[in-house]
Amino acid sequence: MDTFSGTIAITGASAVTVAGTGLDPVLSALKEGRSCLQPVPEEVLAGGHGLLWGRATQFKAADFMPPLKARKLDRCSQFAVATTGQALREAGIDKGAIPAERIGIALGCGFGGIANSAEFLTGYFRQGVAGLSPLLFPNTVANAPASNASIEFGLKGPNITFVQRFCSAESAILSACRFIEEGRADVMLAGGVDELTPLMMKGFAALGQVHSYASGFGEGCGILVLEREEHAVAHGVAIKARIGRIATLGLLLPDAEQAGIDRLLPAQRSFDQVSLSGAGAGIDLLAGKIAAQTVLRTGQIVGQSLAMGGVALGAFSYLLQPGQSGLHLAASPEGPYFAFSLHGDTPA
Amino acid sequence: MTAGRIAITGMGVFCGAAQSVPAFRDAILHGVSGVGPVDLFDVAAFPSQIAVQVKEYDPGAWFTRRQATRLSRTDQFALLAAKEALAMSGLSGCYDPYDIGVCVGGGAAGMFQAEQWLAAELRGETARPAQLRGVLPDKTCTELAQTFCLAGYQGSITTACSSSATAIGWGADLIRTGRQKAMLCGGADSLALLTFAGFNSLKVMDPEPCAPFSLGRQGITLGEGAAFVVLEEEQAARARGAEIFGFLLGYALLGEAHHMTAPEPSGESAARVMTAALAAAGLASDRVGWVNAHGTGTPANDVVESNAMQQVFGDRVQQVPLISTKPITGHCLGAAGSIESVATLLALNAKTIPRTLHFRGKDPECDLDYCHDASKPSDSSVALSNSFAFGGNITCLALAAADLQQGGA
Repeated sequence: MDTFSGTIAITGASAVTVAGTGLDPVLSALKEGRSCLQPVPEEVLAGGHGLLWGRATQFKAADFMPPLKARKLDRCSQFAVATTGQALREAGIDKGAIPAERIGIALGCGFGGIANSAEFLTGYFRQGVAGLSPLLFPNTVANAPASNASIEFGLKGPNITFVQRFCSAESAILSACRFIEEGRADVMLAGGVDELTPLMMKGFAALGQVHSYASGFGEGCGILVLEREEHAVAHGVAIKARIGRIATLGLLLPDAEQAGIDRLLPAQRSFDQVSLSGAGAGIDLLAGKIAAQTVLRTGQIVGQSLAMGGVALGAFSYLLQPGQSGLHLAASPEGPYFAFSLHGDTPA
Repeated sequence: MTAGRIAITGMGVFCGAAQSVPAFRDAILHGVSGVGPVDLFDVAAFPSQIAVQVKEYDPGAWFTRRQATRLSRTDQFALLAAKEALAMSGLSGCYDPYDIGVCVGGGAAGMFQAEQWLAAELRGETARPAQLRGVLPDKTCTELAQTFCLAGYQGSITTACSSSATAIGWGADLIRTGRQKAMLCGGADSLALLTFAGFNSLKVMDPEPCAPFSLGRQGITLGEGAAFVVLEEEQAARARGAEIFGFLLGYALLGEAHHMTAPEPSGESAARVMTAALAAAGLASDRVGWVNAHGTGTPANDVVESNAMQQVFGDRVQQVPLISTKPITGHCLGAAGSIESVATLLALNAKTIPRTLHFRGKDPECDLDYCHDASKPSDSSVALSNSFAFGGNITCLALAAADLQQGGA
């Protein structure tokens, strides 16, 4: 069990999703209860009638970077660079305003790099060595999105990437909070990024997952700007919400399930708003243990993925009203499990 | 928060150079390289055709047929190394399972199997879906947690070649802050066509066994395997009667924010991460006896790392050997940092600075002591272990021998 307890301020957030670029399209869709998911085209998955997915088709890299730069980046890196820039603007942080060594980035990355890997290998399988593209290989690594964002914005502080099933973004946000808590950074960009390709759908189908875990899959990026409360106050930025407690467990043991739940969830289990993210029975199990006036399922609106918890937490932090209490729960099939306690912008 | 030191109470290794800690100790101390021809897949088309492959590996010798089918090559290596580490630690039954976490550094993960699925798909043949199950590195973490009933924290770090070093540092943080009582940390990776072809396409693979810091070096030799350590707070470990094999005194990680594949040329970033690791450990630089380099053998890395040493150790730099164990193990990518951490701990406890193998001649741009001629005795109990990665994700661990007295840091 892992519990973080401090007060970290969320001072900005942004997203790229099927709903559009920025957080506003996500917030609008959430308020209206309007799913932005689209039918999976027949040419992508034959016989996939009724299946939905959430590709960020409105996203145009050229809106955020020169075309030559965009060509060098994989899709996840394009998402991450665009979202990082927007999130920094949201937090009122200009490039160079904070010493480069004091600002870092932590991202969850689900299938980032897989598309480049497949394209790179396809070249080899079809044409041998002559088909290998050295330009593709560097972006086959999952840390490419965070690293490309760090290069673009000069982020020289802690830089880390996680993949942990449907809780990849939450894993990254936990680490970012800790890096701030430990004094390794003053500001951390943290969240998740993921992509969705026709080949991935083929893989999900091969594994028999299109009607379960991969149902309603989405792609995009959600990034929060995190900083110590006093740091945020010092540079005069509005605080959107505060993270007060983070707890996580890897497994819920069948013979000690209640003990695990008691470690994971806060003692007070009634909230103004709750955000649910992830897949599997665990998320419903946890949701059944708490009471809330409002329940948000951002994944149902813009698609779920391994790292879309960044979008969910970003939207949640903007929807919490002053003084409201909130809980963000995330779970993967058979674990891990996360619980984030949030507060509206009145000091906790 | 806990004020105690982070003790290493278990170690496990399964890699191309050795398949247990005792065998690995011999390889590191006696400079026995595992480099040889690759027969895991066809490498005839590539300029470099060698690696430190786990040779004649028979999954049936270690796993049931069902397990061997279900688990990727990487996951199998991870389970074998983790089993050794946990057995050495005697951890079983000492803590509530919710107080024990696992953190894995990953790389290509199950790509070796997944690329066979892709090849079959492209040929229009029926592919085996099970080959896709381990394609993401988090599968390794899940397998370890479920197999060994580690119900606490679960995390997989994917920062390429620094993944498993960061996993160890991050695991120590979770204990140091009192959030976990024990952590299984390390990394696993296997050879894959993706990485073999990829590094060849970048022209950074040496056709001959890698020769870090030597004149005429041409790049890396890949390797594969896994290594894990068990971390606990020192007093808790002593209270349960655990044997302590060393300490993780501190670590640092940062982003160079420079280039996806090229290191920041001045060495400033590499120096900064080493200095930050020393600060996190509460160590003055004069306490460091030697450094286990990232030491890949690429022309660029070795010069940058040497320059960084000058910045960290100043006038004393010639008294701090910078050695590389990659000529022994190969560059094990996602597992490199953890394998090199175990190598460093074994050498520290043996009071020996390992030799950097495959010397080809003195490079005027690499003018430090690299122990090219032979291993050296050392009375120092502290060493640094560097891990640098694509994307500029760089990590440094400050490690200590088991004999380091409390307050000795």
